[in-house]
Amino acid sequence: MNDFLPLIPAATLVVGAIVLMLSEVFLASANRGYMVIVATLTSVVAAVAAFWNAFEPARSVLQGYAVLDPFSSFMTCMVCVGTALSGLVASSFLKHRNAERGEFYALVLFAAAGMSLLALSNEFITIFINLEVLSVATYSLTAYLRRGGRPAEAGFKYFILGAFSASLLLYGAALLYGATGVTKLDELERALPLAAATQPALVYVGFGLVLAGFAFKVAAVPFHMWTPDVYEGAPTPVTALMSAGVKSAAFVSLVRVFLAMKGALPPEVPYLLFAALALVTMVAGNLLAMPQRNVKRMLAYSSIAHAGYLLLGVAALFAPAGASAKAGVLAVTPLLGGTAVAAGDVYKGLLFYLLGYTVTTVGAFGCVAAIERREDETRTNTWDLERFAGLAQRQPGWAVAMAAFMLSLAGVPPTAGFIGKLFVFSAAVDAGLIGLAVAGVLASVAGTYYYLRVVVYMFMRPSPDEATAPFRHWTMDVALVTSAVAVVALGLLPGPVAQWLSRAGMMFGHF
Amino acid sequence: MIPTSHSLILAAALFAIGMLGVLVRRNALVAFMCVELMLNAANLTFLAFARERGDVTGHLSAFFIIAVAAAEAAVGLAIVIAVFRARGTVNIEEIQSMKH
Repeated sequence: MNDFLPLIPAATLVVGAIVLMLSEVFLASANRGYMVIVATLTSVVAAVAAFWNAFEPARSVLQGYAVLDPFSSFMTCMVCVGTALSGLVASSFLKHRNAERGEFYALVLFAAAGMSLLALSNEFITIFINLEVLSVATYSLTAYLRRGGRPAEAGFKYFILGAFSASLLLYGAALLYGATGVTKLDELERALPLAAATQPALVYVGFGLVLAGFAFKVAAVPFHMWTPDVYEGAPTPVTALMSAGVKSAAFVSLVRVFLAMKGALPPEVPYLLFAALALVTMVAGNLLAMPQRNVKRMLAYSSIAHAGYLLLGVAALFAPAGASAKAGVLAVTPLLGGTAVAAGDVYKGLLFYLLGYTVTTVGAFGCVAAIERREDETRTNTWDLERFAGLAQRQPGWAVAMAAFMLSLAGVPPTAGFIGKLFVFSAAVDAGLIGLAVAGVLASVAGTYYYLRVVVYMFMRPSPDEATAPFRHWTMDVALVTSAVAVVALGLLPGPVAQWLSRAGMMFGHF
Repeated sequence: MIPTSHSLILAAALFAIGMLGVLVRRNALVAFMCVELMLNAANLTFLAFARERGDVTGHLSAFFIIAVAAAEAAVGLAIVIAVFRARGTVNIEEIQSMKH
């Protein structure tokens, strides 16, 4: 029975999704106000169940196909919080467009179930299936609005590149299976060193393909081309879910897969790959975001930059202890006299960063969704900076919330984004990645420019004359208030949460 | 019995054709078929190795992959239809309304 504990959050989400789907068919009522409440309650119950699981000891369950460890449980908890907030944003957004249907929330919950299962999968085929469960749900959500060509176009791009990356991952897994004869990650970890000695070609090509597959999912440069178009074209609440949930789940799985593979390779190989990806992603993400006047597109590039900061944390996890990997900025300078970095600090940093990023990004996209008007859907300037001009006079509450989200994305205290960056960068410095950490700090300083520009427009520019009153619904206000409070509270009092997350150092098999 | 290497080379060739097709071909449906080709190349690789080792894991994987590919195909085709309805074309080059 204990084996099924980790499945409870996902099962809750699936049950909620089925209830919503059936109610859409059998309750033929025009009033669908209850749906968002059902969806939010389901996510909250799943989040509580996941939080409960986080205090279970780490162990392998379901015959080694999955693991129950605090790392995946905290991650599930975060995904559920993100899902609940995106659901609330979506309710207001869809009501305004008269497009609120049960299947929308059902798909959101199915995607969340896929993310939760992906976080705990410990076998390649299980990882592939859960990746597809969450992807197929997100493809449909992206193309959900059928007004105008943009959502369909974004859905198509997301689908082709998502399926492409999934097949890269799968082919890589097939080659690794050929080299070792196993697909479970813990068995792979034992079998891979021998296979790497006898069949290095299979192992290295497999490793590269799996890495490329994940890099597409987390939108690391140079595998990021799809991100801006998909994020811009998808309905804004779906974009929020994508940037918060899909990315976090893919990151957790990436860490799990590569920790299992690192023993078979020379220590510099995974380190240099992740460090190079991190550097390019941080720099390119921020540079590409800078000239954007389209706020939604700017947030898409900003999510690429944030993937770069997270990859910096991942690189810290793989930093060869004591070894000298000399490669310019990527050089490793061990500060702690060659001792291995406490992996727990890195996990804590990654999870805190993901938590802060989840509430911030859902809130930021929520604000974008709030001021979006349905009449603008087919125009190109829907999300132009001008739309934010004078928001402080028109909607002071929203303007203050958006300012908090922008400061958090920029990493300015006292916000969650600042503490997250602090944890990740200090873990990187402890691991000796000084050059990379400095590059990260410089990149995020450069990023402050385009985040603060939104704040300047909101507070210091006069309101345009033709500005009309936006559509208001209580769900949007609840979502924005909750995320804004969470962003500031996590920034002011990170202590308790950080302490819980220290438990996440218990990743199964890698203490 | 056909040696494993033959199946593996065929799978690698299918994978390469699929990958090239996704990157080069301009018709959305053809790109979509190329992605299916890539998935099936992975499938064939799993099966070739499973037969060589007499191991059941690879055979099982193939079944799961087929099921997942079918689900993906359903959603993918629905999206292609939505694109065609909105634009009247499935040429990827003409589906570029968002500016960079």
